[in-house]
Amino acid sequence: MSIRVSLLCGGLVATHLLLHVALGLGKAAPDLAVVALLLASRAVGSAGGAAAGFVLGLLEDAFSVVSFGANVFAMSVVGAVAARTRELFVGDSIPFLAVFLVVGKWGRDMLVWLVSDAGGRAPFNDFALLESPLLALYAAAVGLVARLVFARGPLSR
Amino acid sequence: MAGQPRESGEGRRRDFLLTAGIILGSLIVLNLPPGSQRAVRQFLRETVLSPLLEINGAIARMRERALDFNVLRAQMDSVTALVAAGRTLAEENRLLREVLGLAERELHRVRAATVIRTGTPGAESVFLLDAGSSHGVRPFDAVATEAGLLGQVQEVLSEQAVAFDWSHRDFRASAMTPDGRTHGLVEAARGGYREQDRLILRGTAYLSELDAGEELLTSGRGGTFPRGIRIGWIAEPAEASAGWSRNYYVDPAVHPGAATHALVYLDSAADSLAVDPDSASGPGPPVPR
Repeated sequence: MSIRVSLLCGGLVATHLLLHVALGLGKAAPDLAVVALLLASRAVGSAGGAAAGFVLGLLEDAFSVVSFGANVFAMSVVGAVAARTRELFVGDSIPFLAVFLVVGKWGRDMLVWLVSDAGGRAPFNDFALLESPLLALYAAAVGLVARLVFARGPLSR
Repeated sequence: MAGQPRESGEGRRRDFLLTAGIILGSLIVLNLPPGSQRAVRQFLRETVLSPLLEINGAIARMRERALDFNVLRAQMDSVTALVAAGRTLAEENRLLREVLGLAERELHRVRAATVIRTGTPGAESVFLLDAGSSHGVRPFDAVATEAGLLGQVQEVLSEQAVAFDWSHRDFRASAMTPDGRTHGLVEAARGGYREQDRLILRGTAYLSELDAGEELLTSGRGGTFPRGIRIGWIAEPAEASAGWSRNYYVDPAVHPGAATHALVYLDSAADSLAVDPDSASGPGPPVPR
C-alpha cells in the first residue's frame, strides 16, 4: 500500500472517529471507517483487510450495549471480501470505485442488521431498501471525493 | 476488467487461513459472555477512545453554557415558586405522617452529570455520563433531566457510566397518573424511524380510561425509579386487551438527543408509605374525611 493511500485511510478513520465519537453526529456524518476499510483492503490482501475490519469494528462496538461484536464481524467479512475483489476487477476507475463503495457499505450494514439483536434493530424493509442505500450513497460520494482529492493513482499493489 | 491472482499457492493458502482465523475470531467476539464484552468495551473507552470522549464531553458542557440566560432565569423563577409553595406542604406532610405513624419521608441524593452521546452504529439508545462509581453512581440508577425521565444506568466505571435512554428495547418503568389511580408499565414503542420512537403504557385497568394530555409519573413500584419523576403525557389509545386492560401511546417528556445535562438518582426508591418501625402503636387514629 502506498504512503498516500495509507495516509488517506488513516485520515478517513481519524475523521470518522472525530465526527462520530467526539462530535456525536451519528448518521449526519458519513461512515468513513468503512470507506477507509474498502480502500485499504484493495491494497493489503484479504487477511490484512479482515484484520483492519476487526480493529475498526471493535472501536465501533465500544458503545454497543446490546449487539456487541456485530460491527466486528461485519467489518471483518467486508474487509476480507473487498480484498478478494482485486482478483476479479483490476483498475480503480471512478464508476467501479463508486459501485464498490456503495455495495461495500450496504453489505456491511446488511451484515450488521443480520447479526444484531432482533429486538433492537430497525424493520428490514425500511432499513435495507431506504435508509442503508442512502447512507451508502452518502459514504461513497464522500469517499470518492476524498480519493480523488487526496490520493490519485492505483490503490492495488 | 477481470483481475488475476497475484500470489503464489502457498501465499494464498496462508492468506486464506489467516482470514478464516480472523473471521472466526470476530464470531467469538460476537458470542462473548456479557462480562467479557463489558470488559472489552470498558478497556476501549478508557484507552483508545478516551481523548475523543473528553472532546465530546467538553463540547456538551460548552453547549450547556451557551443556553439562553433568559430561559435559565425563567426556569429558576419557576423552581423558586415551586420551592416556596412546597415549604408549607412539607410541614403538613410531616405532621400527617406523625399522625399516621408513617416513617419519615426520605430525600433522594442526586448527582449532576454531563450527557455524552456518540454516533457510532449500535449505540443509538446509549449515552455516557461523566460520573461513575467514585461519585456513588451504581448500575440501574435512574437518570432524569429537568423535563423528566431520561433512562437508566447500566455499566459503571470509576469516573464514567454507561446508560440507556427510554428508547432502548430493555427500558421499563412502572408508571401512574398524578392522582395515583391508574397504574401501568411503560416501555419503548419503536417507530418506523428512530425519530418516531415513543413510549407505550401497558396494563392499565380497562375501566379507568385516560384522556390525551394526561401526565404520567414514575410510581416507584419495583424500587428502580423514584416515585414522581415525569415520564410524559398520554397521546392516544393503542390496542386494548378484550375487556381486561388498555394500552396508550405516550409522548415522552424528554427527547434523548437533546439532553446535555442530567441528574443521577443515587439512592434506590424508598417506599414513601412505609410504616415507622419505632411506632409502637402502629398507625394512629383514622383521619376524618
